[in-house]
Amino acid sequence: MNAVRILVADDHDLMRRGIKSLLQQHPGWEICGEAHTGREAVEKAEELRPDVVILDISMPDLNGVEAARRIRTSSPNTEVLIFSMHYSDQLIREILAAGVRGYVAKSDSDRDLVIAVETLANHKPFFTPRATEVILGSFDGKPPRAWMPESIHGRLTSREREVVQLLAEGKSSKDVASSLGISVKTVETHRANIMRKLQLHTVTDLVRYAVRNQIIEP
Amino acid sequence: MVAGKSLRILIADDQPLVRRAIRLLLESHAGWKVCGEAADGREAITKTKELKPDVVIMDLSMPSMNGLDATREIHSSCPQTQVLILTLYHFPELARTAQRAGAQGCVLKSDSNRYLILAVASLGISQPFFGA
Repeated sequence: MNAVRILVADDHDLMRRGIKSLLQQHPGWEICGEAHTGREAVEKAEELRPDVVILDISMPDLNGVEAARRIRTSSPNTEVLIFSMHYSDQLIREILAAGVRGYVAKSDSDRDLVIAVETLANHKPFFTPRATEVILGSFDGKPPRAWMPESIHGRLTSREREVVQLLAEGKSSKDVASSLGISVKTVETHRANIMRKLQLHTVTDLVRYAVRNQIIEP
Repeated sequence: MVAGKSLRILIADDQPLVRRAIRLLLESHAGWKVCGEAADGREAITKTKELKPDVVIMDLSMPSMNGLDATREIHSSCPQTQVLILTLYHFPELARTAQRAGAQGCVLKSDSNRYLILAVASLGISQPFFGA
């Protein structure tokens, strides 16, 4: 059984106790810290580098979405599980944009929380069936662009995506031009557009982007 | 503290983790047993009638039927059962509102460490507890 280190951030004492009691029963899982405010959650996450942060969305002193964003940015290996009073599609949208991959409501069962932690500890996303319904419910038949993962990626044209791949594979503009049967000048134009759209500055950034989005293998 | 008196307690709260925490707190007291749990007001009423607990710990804000309404119903149909209101938020007139609904006590969730056991012990000997 894998060891999982968990930071519990909730400003309600009873809730924190309940969470701790539940999770400590799981062999190998350790509550490595607790936080009572959003700011404290960010600080402790930075210091302790837990595997999973259980983050109450409505804590004082730094709102939950912002806290989540900071934790995910400073510590990408730390997964954040948002713990919320209610289901809200607006909230889910915001947390997805903040890099959060887990969402459980406080009225959900103990079992949901355990599965959520397990799943996130394996770096896979977890949303309860109800959260999934909420997300799908706001689609009206077709997912809006903003819901697409990597929505920025979606804004590249298909030719631009091809160019990203070839450049990230280490090809020169000349090679890309010849692979695609276009002029070097056209490749350069595509490259400039790509860098601008994705807000990247160097080839290294581009490669990193391509790996992260599974356009190329690391 | 009233040691040794056994009490049967029902916990009514819509959040399973909070119910778990309350159960832990209560069962650390010798002789106290959580005889059941309810996740909303309606279930609280049904289970109270069925299990006849000595004390019901009643969260105020639950779906389907809130804690105050459930308290009123329990007070009228099971007058021997003591109700302790447990709530997240303080509001003015909280104690009076709880009392008028028929509860014998009221504690803030944030004070539960300090007051929950005391409140339940108090209600267990039919002494009201409005410490919050």
